[in-house]
Amino acid sequence: MANAPISATIFAYQVGFGDCFLLRFDYPKRRRHVLIDFGTTGLPKEVASTHLLTIAKDIREKCGGKLDAVVATHRHADHISGFATKKDGSGSGDVIRELLPDAVVQPWTEDLDLAIAARAPAQNGKQAFHAALHNMHEISAHVVRLLNSKPKLLPAKTAAQLRFIGEDNLSNASAVNNLASMGKARHYVYHGSKSGLEKILPGVKTHVLGPPTLEQSEAISRQKSRDAQEYWHFHLKNVTATPSTTGSSEPAFANDVVARGSKLPMTARWIANRIKQARGEQLLSLVRALDKQMNNTSVILLFETRTKKLLFPGDAQIENWQYALSKPKIQKLLADVDVYKVGHHGSLNATPRSMWDGFQKKGKAKAENRMTSVLSTMEGKHGNEAARTEVPRATLIRELQTHTHFHSTHMLPSQTLYQEIHIPF
Amino acid sequence: MSVRFNTRKLTILAQDPAVRINGNLVFAQVEIPYEDLGDGPTGYRVKVVDFDGSANVLYRPFKVGGEVDGMPVDGFAVPDGLSAPQRRAWEKRLLADPTFHSQNVYAIVMRILTCFELALGRRVEWGFQGHQLHVAPHAFLEANAYYSEDDKALLFGYFDSRRAKGRVFTCLSHDIVAHETTHAVLDGIRDGFTSPSTPDQAAFHEGFADVVALLSVFSLRETVELALTDGGKVDLLPGGLRKVLKERVSREAILASFLLGIGKEFGSSLDEEGARADCLRRSVRIEPSAHLLDSPGYEEAHARGELFAAAVLRTFVAMWSRRIDGLGTFDGKHCNLDMVVEEGARAAGHLLTMVIRALDYCPPVDLTFGAYLSALLTADTEVAPDDTQYMYRSLLRETFASFGILPAPQGTDPESGCWQPFDHTSDIVYHRNHSDSMLHDKEEVFRFLWENRRTLRIDDRGYLRVCSVRPSVRQGPDGFFVRETICEYRQVAQMFGAETMSQLGIERPEGMSTRQAYTAYGGGTLVFDEYGRIKYHIEHRLDDGARQSARLEYLWRNGLHDQLSDSTSNFSELHRNRITS
Repeated sequence: MANAPISATIFAYQVGFGDCFLLRFDYPKRRRHVLIDFGTTGLPKEVASTHLLTIAKDIREKCGGKLDAVVATHRHADHISGFATKKDGSGSGDVIRELLPDAVVQPWTEDLDLAIAARAPAQNGKQAFHAALHNMHEISAHVVRLLNSKPKLLPAKTAAQLRFIGEDNLSNASAVNNLASMGKARHYVYHGSKSGLEKILPGVKTHVLGPPTLEQSEAISRQKSRDAQEYWHFHLKNVTATPSTTGSSEPAFANDVVARGSKLPMTARWIANRIKQARGEQLLSLVRALDKQMNNTSVILLFETRTKKLLFPGDAQIENWQYALSKPKIQKLLADVDVYKVGHHGSLNATPRSMWDGFQKKGKAKAENRMTSVLSTMEGKHGNEAARTEVPRATLIRELQTHTHFHSTHMLPSQTLYQEIHIPF
Repeated sequence: MSVRFNTRKLTILAQDPAVRINGNLVFAQVEIPYEDLGDGPTGYRVKVVDFDGSANVLYRPFKVGGEVDGMPVDGFAVPDGLSAPQRRAWEKRLLADPTFHSQNVYAIVMRILTCFELALGRRVEWGFQGHQLHVAPHAFLEANAYYSEDDKALLFGYFDSRRAKGRVFTCLSHDIVAHETTHAVLDGIRDGFTSPSTPDQAAFHEGFADVVALLSVFSLRETVELALTDGGKVDLLPGGLRKVLKERVSREAILASFLLGIGKEFGSSLDEEGARADCLRRSVRIEPSAHLLDSPGYEEAHARGELFAAAVLRTFVAMWSRRIDGLGTFDGKHCNLDMVVEEGARAAGHLLTMVIRALDYCPPVDLTFGAYLSALLTADTEVAPDDTQYMYRSLLRETFASFGILPAPQGTDPESGCWQPFDHTSDIVYHRNHSDSMLHDKEEVFRFLWENRRTLRIDDRGYLRVCSVRPSVRQGPDGFFVRETICEYRQVAQMFGAETMSQLGIERPEGMSTRQAYTAYGGGTLVFDEYGRIKYHIEHRLDDGARQSARLEYLWRNGLHDQLSDSTSNFSELHRNRITS
């Protein structure tokens, strides 16, 4: 078949804690390139500050100055910060923009014309709901500002976790705007929708497995919603607390202060410490909820060629996956996946056990047609081993190493720009 | 010789600061047990510490006033004879005084605790190790207020409201303080109710807290009078009786009053900020429908809790209306205001006592609204077997049924909806136990359970333990006391997904791995009479396939199957969502 790819190559770029994959399909007469995510929230220490620009230029070189498509799975910084532009046009996002992608694929939740109470992709553009997103970013900005002021009240571990999640959820306005105006066509996808890549990748069937719309699955929000507003108002209601959560720390009754935190009478010390701790935990639960919600807007794509299946789930967590995995047809479709981009940097909740158990091409080192797994991550950035929340999760890595051809950017020398994984069809 | 008082009167804000009648805030003086109070105030059950975690400062504590003629002085009592501007100025000073905030929370918490102790006839423990509940009236700058078992505390936040154009203190909201206190008390009575379980169980905590918060207001007679008259001048009947227009005390008017209806209260200031505002009161506006319970929109804890609250509050309004109808009218247009208020207080007090007493008759795990209704009917039947005068129980059944809540399908008498009494023909062995120890000793009761586990059909596969042994003394309308001992036992069974069929007889949900760890619970409440014999055995059995299946299905669908019981995070998140959503 002249119109079908004969092999694929994945360039897994070293972005530290983030994702950046250039997926190349080799056709008999030409190559097609899809860039899946480009972002980081923590580069390896040894690399230069211009590292993302270097990657962008390398992508330009690899694709010969023309990208066929860009997929931005969701708007977390570790997936899109590389798309940010600079006023003088020298940003890594400027380079990608010049590659004139024919299509930009994003989740339906990124459609800025959606109504604020949207439960599904818009039929008619109503009031934009980006206000909700804006407010979510506001929380993150407040949290990061609070941390920058070096508050003495927050326990160090809580502060570190807050900073990590807070920074990942900052607005990335430049990257978002670049993605919203880049390329010839933009496609906002959801479970079962067209991917927008049909003509761009002939001979490849691109299944959109996630995110589900709320009408498809209430599970994405983990809360049964009573009304159409619940989904995005989940964020709004948290946002209502923004100014108060992270705003002024002036005493509410300045004339009635009898003691500062460091000189409390014995009778108040125990509960005062508990309150301080509770405050940090509240902030953390707020930003964690927000972070998880955003991860669950991730686009999940399955590229199916005549002989191979390549699965790219972004950072989708269990709530996003649940809808797809509830369908026997999808379970069957996923059973013979050949390449799995490990979800959410190898975290606890992003590789559903039932899906992993269902992968039939897992096998020992010498097994025929053994599955390949690709992970982009960095150790020591997120979670902790004692709580069994470290990223990447050690038990998952062990399973991946035992049962698949395992590749991970965290095992690359930091100066190595990318790992190249060839997939013959 | 001066008289020694055994109660103390303290002024509280009976309604939120946004509610003004004739331009005045709604204050009330409440009576609570006298105790030797320390600064804070700090008493034998409550320790108010005004530490602000956001500003990292401690505010001036409340200091107890002196006594006049043996009577404790209420330093914040509303002064007599104030002109309107003077009253405004006094109110402003009061709201800006953190020590009044401290008095307000102390008095409301103690009042709610007293309601429970009075109804149950015993001291009520908190749900944590310790005797004093911390209360922080200005814990942090956030629109949140919650009970935290780990912190042994009620934490109240404050925030700047854009719509109210000012600072809002959650500790000044009577409903919020009463609601949070009820969570703390309920956690002490039934700590298993904070565990992830059926949708009804989480909803019950919320709905029950709403019910207690709202019903407790109706015994504040001045507040009820203000609501019925809107603070207007009260006309007199011949003979000096005070009158109120009949239409002002109709069922519809009561539902629409600020006590139950859409008020100008605190929460509404958040309405235009994307908030779900007058959350406690919203429930009474839910039109009864037997289908609501099954609709997906009412699976979330708060929404479902509102259905429960709606059923109780509509019962209350019907009870009060019947009593008002029984009073008759003057000239066909007016009612005796004092009697109307009195009947409201009695009806509310009676219902509040009933709903609290029912807790002792609930199964200790996986509570459903139906099981609670059976407990409610049974507890009331024990104390007041004759229901013919006001027919409260039939009214309760009717109203609950209108919301689709029916008595528990198992273990109940179909006619009365009450739990079936224990079958005394069974071969229970009593003689191996010491009857005196059976009144208070968990080890003794465990021995009793163990010896009788086969007769009682108690499944001993999981880890079995007795959680509580408590005395209960209640006075019935005939003046006699009903003395009982309430014992709870619980079973914990841990298993993997592959074992749900062999252990519980149920299918595991689609997508659940065979290696997924899962914990199921069973348990029962044994009610002993004053002779130490079993009166009721109210059980939620470990091998109840239908219940276990519904629980697992719900937990799995909502991603709660591996969540540990953590009342701190549960209430913190739930209440942040509620206040700010």
